Amino acid sequence: MKFKKKDNKRPSRLLNLWAGISFFIPVFIIYAYSYSDHIFIVKGYEIKKLITKKNNLFLKSDGLESNKNKSDSAKKTSTSTDNNSLIKNIDTLLPKEQWAISDYKRLNNSIEFSDTIKHRILLIGDSECGGLCFPLNDYCEQNGHKLLLTLAWNSATVFNFAFSDTINKIILKYKPSYLFIVFGLNELPARDLEQRKKAADQFAKKIGGIPYLWIGPANYMNDYGINKVFESAAETDCFFLTNNMELPRGDDGRHPSIKGYRLWMDSIAKWIKISAKYKISMEKPTKSRYTFKSRIINLNAVNFRGY
Amino acid sequence: MDTNWLNNMVSEITSNSLLKQAFEYSFKEPWFFTEFSFLFVFSVFLIFYTFIIKQNNFKKIYIICFSLFFYYKSSGPFLFLFILMIIIDYFLAFLIYKKKGGLKKIFLWISLLFSLSFLLYFKYSNFFIQNFNQLLGTSFNQHNLFLPIGISFYTFQSISYLVDVYRNEILPAKKMSDYAFYMTFFPHLVAGPIVRAKDFLPQIINPNVLNKILYKESVLRIIIGLLKKLFIADYLGKYVDIIHQSPTNFSGVENLLSMYAYCFQIYFDFSGYSDIAIGIALLLGYRLKENFNNPYFSKNITEFWRKWHISLSNWLKDYIYIPLGGNRKGKFNTYLFLSATMLIGGFWHGADWRFLIWGLAHGLALIIHKIWSKLFPNLKHNAFSDFLGIVITFHFVALCWILFRSNSFTDAFTSINKIIFNIHLIDFNGFWFSRKEFCYVLIIASTIVFIPPFIKEKFFLFLNRLPTLTWIIWIMISLQIIIQFKDDIVQPFIYFQF
Repeated sequence: MKFKKKDNKRPSRLLNLWAGISFFIPVFIIYAYSYSDHIFIVKGYEIKKLITKKNNLFLKSDGLESNKNKSDSAKKTSTSTDNNSLIKNIDTLLPKEQWAISDYKRLNNSIEFSDTIKHRILLIGDSECGGLCFPLNDYCEQNGHKLLLTLAWNSATVFNFAFSDTINKIILKYKPSYLFIVFGLNELPARDLEQRKKAADQFAKKIGGIPYLWIGPANYMNDYGINKVFESAAETDCFFLTNNMELPRGDDGRHPSIKGYRLWMDSIAKWIKISAKYKISMEKPTKSRYTFKSRIINLNAVNFRGY
Repeated sequence: MDTNWLNNMVSEITSNSLLKQAFEYSFKEPWFFTEFSFLFVFSVFLIFYTFIIKQNNFKKIYIICFSLFFYYKSSGPFLFLFILMIIIDYFLAFLIYKKKGGLKKIFLWISLLFSLSFLLYFKYSNFFIQNFNQLLGTSFNQHNLFLPIGISFYTFQSISYLVDVYRNEILPAKKMSDYAFYMTFFPHLVAGPIVRAKDFLPQIINPNVLNKILYKESVLRIIIGLLKKLFIADYLGKYVDIIHQSPTNFSGVENLLSMYAYCFQIYFDFSGYSDIAIGIALLLGYRLKENFNNPYFSKNITEFWRKWHISLSNWLKDYIYIPLGGNRKGKFNTYLFLSATMLIGGFWHGADWRFLIWGLAHGLALIIHKIWSKLFPNLKHNAFSDFLGIVITFHFVALCWILFRSNSFTDAFTSINKIIFNIHLIDFNGFWFSRKEFCYVLIIASTIVFIPPFIKEKFFLFLNRLPTLTWIIWIMISLQIIIQFKDDIVQPFIYFQF
């Protein structure tokens, strides 16, 4: 990049001074703002400060030793900056409370729930989602809900869901009011239940704040306790146990058949209305098949580990 | 009026620990151009610079002192080694100049060995010990060495000065301060561009005068450099780091996008540094040579090396390839010298076999291109062939960068294998969905890289018309944009390690 150069040989002190000032003033303002207690917000976006907990004027601190001389007010400022920061690292996003509907009250189990709220629903899980999404779509259409997206993460396990931010990002993008979660088919033989319990707890934390129904896998074999692990991680009455159901199997012998998925969904719907902590209207579809307008994302855990 | 911020700031500055930090070297936190603390100190330095602008000697000493301080903040005690090297090279250059015949050559070799000894010891000794141990089954201990920042750059500068004096292409610097100024000038000190004495020494005696045009150009280059580094390179780098931790765990698509991302990361990182260096030097009245000229827009690998890290390419050509014999000793030797030069170029980047193979791959590509050009000298070029050339060159360079970036050969080959044999288009869907922000930055980066140069020129000329007084606002906005998007931890410039 070269400008047309006017060769002006008169040294200008004023211009040199201006060169210094034009850097000094902006940097000074940035530091002054960092040390002030005010936080400016422009159109919902916070104007970030340069100084955070780890920074000071000249160097990032090397630990407690260099932090200990910071004044209390500076500490207060940096803490408030951290808390209020709207721009987060993309890999550390967590579900936000603002999308949660926190006022759900558990009703008497014997009373069927009637609800007129139209929900924005996400179906998230492993390959079972690929079959379950169609009957769920019918229920959504019948009851006025919107099935926003189905994420069929083939071959995924609880580790994929727990230790990646994929789900967080989907939640952030679609802002659902209700989640259907189904996975576990790929970990029925799993015996490392302690590890999976940690992962399941982590996953439950991620979706905490959004009403959900966690559906256990359609067992084609006896598991070694994975259902119990999931149940213990989920909130009370948020876990639907599938393994006592006799679902017709598909050709592969592992997944339910089309009829099996339909029966499964019918049972889930019935259970939601009666027993679930977060109840939504789930009347049986009057039409045999509604047009499927929703989106399906197919991922494969072999290639896509998640982020 | 709320004066809390002032109290906080004053208490921070006056507290002993902060003053200590300001002037003390921190191994964990070396000084970069991207540190706001540097920009703050530099702006104060510039303001005082105004008052001595007309006294050339004061100005020189003032800049040398600041440069030494800058190097101290970057490399700490190695400053003394650097000063020692400057003093000894200065006197050796005089001896080379004054002596005739064989003695002249002997002094040249002594000076070259002296300059190279630091580089060889700090950068390559462990590599040789390790390979020696593996080859002969010995167990010599490796040293716990810290590579002084910028040593590869200033060693090459020192060599170019000594060789140019030997060849009588330049006179040795009359004053020690002139040579010290040339060597220590902080904009190019730690990561280039590699400055030649014949280009730079005349400017010390007769520097440029800052006018409005130069002011705007320099500020623009600093801003662009900062944005390139902090806004694009660091962002892409976060993703590249994740993939290269374990490429096996990621799909072909993810590895492919990591390859593109690193391609742009290294370009924006290093060209960003060069932009800041050139901008800062211009503000002080000195023009450094361009180091990049739209390299990914090259139609063949030879053109790429004329446009990528230009100062290093020229240095290798003038001080290795041509002295070896260049193209004067037959076809076979030309190819041999070319490979040897690129091999040395690769080794200069790092003491690892990966860098050697990287250099060799580029050397072979240059040979293939030379043979191709001789076989088809009258091949007509059209838009399609140019486009094809750009695509092929870019992808060859990108694949080679994998060797450069990977942590080991195994990782590099895993990544390349995945890119070639494990691409499933369906994976793009999930990737786009999960890493939309990254994809946006990748698209922005590739757009900037592949915009035809004349459009960039027009854009810069448009910016040049903005009134001088408004530039303070552009600086303010740019810095705040950087703060909004930058990571808490700024990555060091990639070329600092070389």
